[in-house]
Amino acid sequence: MAYNYEQMSWSEVRDLFRKWREDNERRSDDIVLLWKRILEDNASKLGNERHLVLEQVIIAAFDCARLDISEKCIRELSQEFPGSLRVQKYKAMKYEAMGRYDEANDVLDDIISKDETNAAPRKRKIAIFKAKGKTCEAIKELCEYLKKFMSDQEAWHELCSLYLSENEYSKAAFCMEEVLLHNPHSHLIHQRLAEIRYTMGGLENIEIAKSYYSQALKLNSCNLRALYGLYLCCNHIINSKASVNKRKEAQKLASYVLSEIQSKSCVGNEKAKNDKYIGSLENAFGNLDLKSN
Amino acid sequence: MTDVKISSRAYTKIILHAAKYPYAAVNGLLLAAKDKSKNQFIVDAIPLFHQCLNVTPMAEIALVQVEAMAADEGLLIAGYYAAAENFNDSSIEKIPGARIPEKIAEHFSNAVCVMVDNKAMSLNMERPAIKAWQNADSRWVKTNFSVDSCDSTLEAVSALLQKGAMKDINDFDNYLDNVENDWLNEHLNRDLKQLLAMY
Repeated sequence: MAYNYEQMSWSEVRDLFRKWREDNERRSDDIVLLWKRILEDNASKLGNERHLVLEQVIIAAFDCARLDISEKCIRELSQEFPGSLRVQKYKAMKYEAMGRYDEANDVLDDIISKDETNAAPRKRKIAIFKAKGKTCEAIKELCEYLKKFMSDQEAWHELCSLYLSENEYSKAAFCMEEVLLHNPHSHLIHQRLAEIRYTMGGLENIEIAKSYYSQALKLNSCNLRALYGLYLCCNHIINSKASVNKRKEAQKLASYVLSEIQSKSCVGNEKAKNDKYIGSLENAFGNLDLKSN
Repeated sequence: MTDVKISSRAYTKIILHAAKYPYAAVNGLLLAAKDKSKNQFIVDAIPLFHQCLNVTPMAEIALVQVEAMAADEGLLIAGYYAAAENFNDSSIEKIPGARIPEKIAEHFSNAVCVMVDNKAMSLNMERPAIKAWQNADSRWVKTNFSVDSCDSTLEAVSALLQKGAMKDINDFDNYLDNVENDWLNEHLNRDLKQLLAMY
C-alpha cells in the first residue's frame, strides 16, 4: 500500500494510526514520518486519543532509534500524568533502547514493587533477557510469569516462539494449544500448530498435522499455507506404512488439494509461472501410485 | 577452498530483504551456475521467509519450487543466507534455520552460508554488510568473499535503501499470503543503474 504522505489531512492520518494500532501493525518508520510531518502540529485536535497516539509514537520512535522524538513524547505524557506507572514503563524502555539494561531493570523493579498486579513491566524484563540473547533465561522467566498470568495469550505466543528457536517442538506445541483455547476459530493458529506437528515428524504427528491443516482450511478455504501443508501431509501418508484405506484416502485428498492450489494460483500475471513450479511439486513428491503392502 | 564471489543482484536482494523486516529474522537461498568451473559465483538470491523460520513445511515447498526454477535457468541451489533477529547476532552459530544450509551442503559440497552483519547495515554502507562461510568437511569455515563491482554496488544499494526500495521486495511468505506477489522479484533483475532510475 502506498500512501501519498504529502497530501494527507490530519484526520486521515489519525484514522490510519488508529487502524495500525488496532491491527497491531509495526509500521514504525511510517508512524514517525507521519507524526513529524502532519500529526504533531495537530496533536491538540486529537482529544482523548492523543495519549494513545503519543504512546504509539514513543514505541515507533524507539524502533527507529529516534530517541529525541520519544523523549519529547514521554515528557508530554509525564507532565500530564505525574507519577504514572504506565509512563514510568516508557522511561524504562528508553533505557532499553539505549542498551542500558541494568538501569531499565531498576526502573521496572520499582514499578513492580509499587504494583504487583502490573503485567507490562514483568514482560519488559523478559524482553530484556531476549535482547541480551539469553533465550534460556527468557524462557524460565516467561514460564514464571505465566504461572501468575495464565490467560495472557500474547505471552503464550511468545513462549511458543522462544521454544521454537530452541528447537523444543513439543513444548512449543503445548503453548500453541493454549493460544488455540483462547481463539478456537483462528485458522492461523491451527495452521501454526500443524506446522509444528509436521516438523516434529513421525506418522502420528503427521496425522495430527493433517487434522489441524484441514480445520484451518475449513475456517478459511483460501489459506495457501494450509493447502500446501495438507498436500505434504497426504504425500507423507501415501508413502508410509499406514493401512491401505488410509493411503487411498490420502491419495484422493492430495490430488484434490493440488488442483485447489492450482486454481488458487490462477490469478494475476504470475499464473503461468506459478503453475509450472506447482507442477514441480508433483514430480518431487508425487509418487502417487499406491504401493501394495 | 576458493574465494566466493557474490553478484550485485544477489547482494541487493539480501540487503533489501533484511531491511524490509528489520525486526524479524529472515532467510533465503543463494543460486549459482551448474557449471563446475563457475559455481563459486553466487548469481542470484531468492528471499524465502520472515515469519517463522523454525518450522519446515513451507520451507520444503519453497525448496522444491526454487530448485525447479533454478533448473530452468541452468542454476542450482548453492547456499543459504539469513539475518538474525537479535541485533548482536551475526555468527554462524546463531544462524536461524540452521538445518537448511546443512541439507544444502549434503547435496552441494561447496555450499556457501551468508549471514547479514546487522551492525554494518546502514544507509551509507562502506563495506559489504554480510559475512560468508563455506562448507568444508561438513563444517562451516569462514571464507573470503567479494561483491561484484563492490563500490558501485554498495553505493547503489545504499541509495535504494534511502529511497525505500525494500518495501517492494517480495519473499516466499509474501507469495503465500497473496499469490500475486512474485518471489522471483523480477523487477530487481535489471542492472543497478536502471533500478536506481526506477525510484
